[in-house]
Amino acid sequence: MEIRPIVSALLRNKTGALLIAAQIALTLAIVSNAAYIIRDRVAVSSRPSGIDDESRIFRIAVDSIDKPGDAIALQKQEEQRLAALPGVESLANANQIPLGQSGWNMVLFLDKSQTSSSSSMAFYFTPGPLVKTLGLKVIEGRDFTAADVDIINVRENEHRLGHVAIVSQALAKKLFPDGQSAVGKHVFVGNGADAPEYEIVGVVERLQSPWAQHGEAGELSLITAIRPIQSYVNYVVRTEPGQVERVMRDAEAALTGAGSGRLLIEKNTLPDIRQQRYRTDHAMVWMLVTVTVLLLLVTASGIVGMATLWVNQRRKQIGVRRALGARRADILRYFVTENALISSFGIAAGTLLALALNQLLVSQFELPRLPLPHLLVGMAVLWALGIGAVYGPARRAASVAPATATRSA
Amino acid sequence: MFRYYLNLGFRSLRRNPVLTILMVITLSVGVAASMSTYTVLHMMSGDPIPHKSDRLFVPQLDTGGMVGYTAGEEPDDQLSYPDTQRLLASGQGIRRTAIYGINDAITPERADMAPLLANGGATTADFFAMFEVPFRYGNPWHADDDARKADVIVLSRATSEKLFGDVDPTGKDLTMGETSYRIVGVLGDWQPLPRYYRIINGNGGAFAGSDEFFIPFSTAVRHEKRNSGNNNCNGDGPEPGYAGWIASDCTWIQFWFEGASVGEQASIKAWLDDYASEQHRLGWLKRPVNTRLRNTMQWLEHLEVVGRDSRIQVWLAFGFLLVCLVNTVGLLLAKFSARAGEVGVRRALGATRSAIFQQYLIEASVIGLVGAALGLALSFAGLWLIGQQSGAMAAVAKMDWAMLLATLLLSLCASVLAGFLPTWRACQVRPALQLKAQ
Repeated sequence: MEIRPIVSALLRNKTGALLIAAQIALTLAIVSNAAYIIRDRVAVSSRPSGIDDESRIFRIAVDSIDKPGDAIALQKQEEQRLAALPGVESLANANQIPLGQSGWNMVLFLDKSQTSSSSSMAFYFTPGPLVKTLGLKVIEGRDFTAADVDIINVRENEHRLGHVAIVSQALAKKLFPDGQSAVGKHVFVGNGADAPEYEIVGVVERLQSPWAQHGEAGELSLITAIRPIQSYVNYVVRTEPGQVERVMRDAEAALTGAGSGRLLIEKNTLPDIRQQRYRTDHAMVWMLVTVTVLLLLVTASGIVGMATLWVNQRRKQIGVRRALGARRADILRYFVTENALISSFGIAAGTLLALALNQLLVSQFELPRLPLPHLLVGMAVLWALGIGAVYGPARRAASVAPATATRSA
Repeated sequence: MFRYYLNLGFRSLRRNPVLTILMVITLSVGVAASMSTYTVLHMMSGDPIPHKSDRLFVPQLDTGGMVGYTAGEEPDDQLSYPDTQRLLASGQGIRRTAIYGINDAITPERADMAPLLANGGATTADFFAMFEVPFRYGNPWHADDDARKADVIVLSRATSEKLFGDVDPTGKDLTMGETSYRIVGVLGDWQPLPRYYRIINGNGGAFAGSDEFFIPFSTAVRHEKRNSGNNNCNGDGPEPGYAGWIASDCTWIQFWFEGASVGEQASIKAWLDDYASEQHRLGWLKRPVNTRLRNTMQWLEHLEVVGRDSRIQVWLAFGFLLVCLVNTVGLLLAKFSARAGEVGVRRALGATRSAIFQQYLIEASVIGLVGAALGLALSFAGLWLIGQQSGAMAAVAKMDWAMLLATLLLSLCASVLAGFLPTWRACQVRPALQLKAQ
């Protein structure tokens, strides 16, 4: 092959080649890291919450303007009113909702004598069919029954918060790692003398916390059955498919109509809640996608520009080669090979640079480490980009007529 | 000569239109990406009260039991009610204030308006002087009102205009919850970025949302108002009822000292250590002495107000600019080397190397100048896009004069920097060789 003359020609005129190689190296370093962050963010924001069909769920929270007389009666009356709305399939009054970003976090103990907790977890409570409303999958034990529900003044007696619990599978596995069933076991919230004790009656496959933290922490949840005596209520409603927006408007009218004495605190559909929770991740993804696309365009245009320049500078030499018997394919191959050499050099340097940049991001921002297969994809993409970009100018070089050699200048 | 070269530079833009357009676009896109992300970072990390941020201090005490205690861990960001009361009475610094978030339903005096939920803060009279809050009508309440637990209220301008229109409502009564408050003041436009005085809030975070009203801290406690933000309880939690909650070591209050001088940070910190060790001895603070006293900027840094994503974006955007620069160097090299003959003729006619150098560097700067204009336009577009994300981002995605100037400067510097190597190469042209080739 003709690699040797190409190399010696390159060494004669290093600047342009070095610039292209540098550009490819920088692009590889940035693009492979950006792509990895993009993939990570997409993976995080598409984790399942445990809810079977989020597009059918909304929540609406209301509170009283003045102190209500009988908060429990009011809650039950409102639940009936909501259940009667057309399009409502199921509803539950619950203190918090997955991905909602605010709620209760508590620590669990298996034994009151422990000095450090067994786990922290998102603490859900509901007097209604929350499991059914969210469409959670019970994989062991049972859902709550009406007999499980304690009526509790949350504000006045914070030590008694129910007596039965349903836990997420992740929490069950964390508490009982040796594979024994969590159902029937007892756990405590807190470890003081008054710490409330819960009997686990069921396990659901998955229930994310309101914060949906990264990793295991976002999957640790516990639900207990209580009806709190308070005027603030957060209703979680499951609607028939495609009705969520309309039912949410109807629900607001039904709850906060004139003379109700109730004030809307917030209402939103679960798709909106999810969007809100992952807004920064989505923004990051879009920013990085934009930068990646622009980078590839800039680099490709740089290669095209530089290759065009070289072809123009060497028109005469190309003519000579053609006149001496080189075929068009030989000329094409010359430029493609030359570019492949430069690209390979840039990619080699870029790989090191990518790892260095990743190291920096890992140390500065606690980002995950770049996996090697991922880097290989980046290398392949840039190599293909280099060849693709040089192809046009190389074709033009191949079309230089042999007669060019006979002309002066 | 400079003007002549400048003129030549502008003329030469038209000589290789494709190459020129490519360079201008590359440069401006790189500048726009860097500057729009950097502007967000700049606005996020701004000093909200520059002339006294180093005299405003936030204390932290290590509240909590010994269960799950790890020595040396960062103490709570907020204080408990008993500690707040003692710190308010401490006499340290020239002013002290405490604040916690509350919300309540306002019943407007106009019958046709529905009740509305308002988010506000419960604080002390010193708050307004300490944070230099501007007033449109009326005044802050007096320290006496704090002591008397008076039902007085200060409204934000937006709340006041929503309820009463653009008139002075001071002296009127306002029904909020079940209480009638006398309006003593209306704030002017006050939207510090970030909302440093109460960063830990449940209504918008560091950059969005605002407090719609303020009432005295003591009044809020008299009406048994729970806080609407973060409440961190330890052990088995508080005794039942409101009295049990405020007597407990649950932390839910943000506290500020104002020192007379920067140096008071050390003396107040020393006092705080003494206080903590005294309270540890008395059995109130269970954990060994572990306090912090941060000034405003240290506090904002501690709470990581500047998002990590924003910093990553700036890094990557500047990396992108670097690639754009390398690209521009290559393209300029192409453009200049096509004119070796021209340089040869000029040199042969007596132009010095430095004259050539000047001419080509100015030509490179002209490209930077054009790139700067486009880059600025693209930066505004980028900021607009960033602002679409959320109210918080809209608040920080705003270009100030410093950033505007920095954008122009960056663009010019980038083009001059990119121009150096190609210009130097152009100067290396040997006139004899060039002329011979012709």
